[in-house]
Amino acid sequence: MLKRLPVLMFGALLASPSAFAQDMPPTAAVCSGCHGQNGWGLANVAPMLAGLDAGYLSQQIDLFLTGKRKDPIMTAMSATVSDPAIRKQVSEYYASLPAPKVAKPEQRGDRVSFTSAAEKLAYQGDWDRNIPACATCHGPSGVGVDHFPRLAGQQEYYLAKQLNDWKQGKRSGDPLNMMSHIAVQLTTDEIKGLAGFFSTLPSGGQ
Amino acid sequence: MKTILSLLAISFASSVFAANELPDRQTELPAVKKAMDTDYLQPRSLDQVPETEFGKMVKLGYSLFVDSQQMRGEFVGNDQNCVNCHMQAGQKANAAPLWAAYSAYPAYRKKNDKVNSYAERIQGCFTYSMNGVPPTYDSEEIKALSAYSYWMMMGGLMDRHGMKGQAVPEVSAKHLQAGAKGADFPFPDKITKAFPVEDRSSLKGRGYPKLAQPEQTPSIERGSDVYSAYCSTCHSADGQGIRGNDGRSYIPPLWGASAYNWGAGMHRINTAAYFIYENMPLGKSATLTKQQAWDVAAYVNSHERPQDPRFKGDLQENRDKYHNHQGYYGQETNGKLLGKDSYPSATVDGQ
Ligand code: HEC
Ligand code: HEC
Ligand code: HEC
Ligand code: HEC
Repeated sequence: MLKRLPVLMFGALLASPSAFAQDMPPTAAVCSGCHGQNGWGLANVAPMLAGLDAGYLSQQIDLFLTGKRKDPIMTAMSATVSDPAIRKQVSEYYASLPAPKVAKPEQRGDRVSFTSAAEKLAYQGDWDRNIPACATCHGPSGVGVDHFPRLAGQQEYYLAKQLNDWKQGKRSGDPLNMMSHIAVQLTTDEIKGLAGFFSTLPSGGQ
Repeated sequence: MKTILSLLAISFASSVFAANELPDRQTELPAVKKAMDTDYLQPRSLDQVPETEFGKMVKLGYSLFVDSQQMRGEFVGNDQNCVNCHMQAGQKANAAPLWAAYSAYPAYRKKNDKVNSYAERIQGCFTYSMNGVPPTYDSEEIKALSAYSYWMMMGGLMDRHGMKGQAVPEVSAKHLQAGAKGADFPFPDKITKAFPVEDRSSLKGRGYPKLAQPEQTPSIERGSDVYSAYCSTCHSADGQGIRGNDGRSYIPPLWGASAYNWGAGMHRINTAAYFIYENMPLGKSATLTKQQAWDVAAYVNSHERPQDPRFKGDLQENRDKYHNHQGYYGQETNGKLLGKDSYPSATVDGQ
């Protein structure tokens, strides 16, 4: 095991979003109008991009361009960064911005029982409907793992909208339909609860 | 400049919003349970675990089972958590649930000609699946994992036999470690009658359901295509799974230094095929054919992993002695003799 682990760990450290915040590339100036100077998004306007995986961000731009995600403004905005080099630069820039910190991310298994249905879904899932715990893919407290995007501290309206979009067939392109397969089974109440829970996870900002 | 931009943004944003506010005409999908096979024992909800010393042990067992990395370096030598292979914290029928396992021990095993207790069975998982060194028979960890399994089995049986709402009785450490198959295991009378010793190793939903032998011999080449299509987005093209920024593994590796070793049940092609067919891709957003499950099981298990801890230096001898089943250990595969350049086993501190 010693043969491989240190290399992997080193790679993981380099990929850490808060390691180096980059200078804002000129193309990102217009993005920050909606996504915020710090990339944390604006309530009821646009999602947080800060700290999301660069590959994930770039892939989403592709989905807007190919119509798998439908949003008139973002489709137009995506056209301004359709050049692969520029898209890469903007994606890496937002990935490098620090996201709001979660003091002690909660792992699956830390808590045994839950009073909130949303938190139970987040850490234990609902296997009668084949829904694994959100934290299995999105990481402890939903802080994001590689191309499984960060949910912690994401704009509440946006989280709910994405789950509803999947439910209504307005968002697709997720690998193996794994997220749409889950979202279609969630009730409106569950979506509300989950969006409320994940958006307020980081307490007290950075 | 800045103000102009944000003004622009706001007017953009409001138009975005208007365009997206569609009335919700979709009928609500009800969050009902899928038609449950009522034959499966239903463990009680963990909310019902009491706040007693015994209850604390049950909760500790749950926590160790789901987040086994708490024991990394001490008892666990790889990136696995018990829950990686026993879905839903060991509760899911057909994913080797603990409630069905618990009543099946102590079990007589021809292999070592010896009666195996439940505690010993769990210790085996530490040695092989977790590539570690097991906690001792009398350790807190083994007692806690046994208590968690016992609590789920007993609660399910009590509910089934008209004892809903009654607390699960506490039992001694000796009984806990042994498992519930012994004739002297303290069951409430009603259950002793309804659940005789000869039925205890065959609760419905135990283990991973067997698949018939595939039409075509499992093929590593075809399996590699299945892997690229259905698995690599999570387990990575190189089989190493996915780590978070904290360096911890979140999607488990399927081969290599941090995976299960050559002695683990999952290295057998048939066992892996059963597991994969029933449980993967996680959440079952895609469904494999049985042939695909066999092929991808062959592919996953055709890679080098930590050595079988029973290996004494002679690969052929070890293969003959312990590997008379469907697996590639000790065989030449893709020009490599598997088991020859294995990673170290029992990789815990001080080893
Ligand atoms: C006028 C406001 C606005 C501007 C300007 C804007 N965006 Fe967006 N962006 C949005 C909205 C709204 C969404 C959410 C769309 C939806 O609901 O699917 C979004 C979503 C995204 C997403 C998907 C995020 C995720 O978590 O999946 C990415 C990536 C993104 N924007 C990148 C950019 C980039 C890069 C720019 C600059 C070139 C930009 N945006 C400019 C409003 C804007
Ligand atoms: C099997 C793995 C998996 C599980 C379990 C899972 N997700 Fe996801 N989720 C994904 C993937 C992959 C994406 C990214 C989709 C894409 O790339 O288009 C995603 C995206 C999302 C998004 C959109 C984020 C954004 O920035 O646009 C939300 C919201 C979300 N998931 C919520 C949840 C919730 C809530 C749960 C638990 C009920 C959950 N997910 C469970 C895999 C998973
Ligand atoms: C890599 C996958 C994997 C991991 C990780 C794993 N197991 Fe298992 N476990 C299996 C398989 C496969 C079997 C069935 C073995 C067989 O068919 O020979 C099994 C069997 C068992 C059984 C007996 C089931 C029965 O019905 O008799 C118990 C109990 C058990 N495991 C407990 C654990 C515990 C506790 C842990 C963590 C310390 C763990 N397992 C980790 C794969 C795994
Ligand atoms: C959506 C992501 C995802 C996909 C796709 C996926 N897996 Fe998994 N797999 C997981 C996760 C997560 C676990 C651990 C489950 C848990 O901890 O609850 C797992 C566990 C396993 C295990 C248990 C053994 C171990 O070492 O822990 C095997 C074997 C496995 N997967 C094989 C496959 C195969 C083969 C495919 C393709 C057919 C596949 N998986 C597709 C996410 C995935």
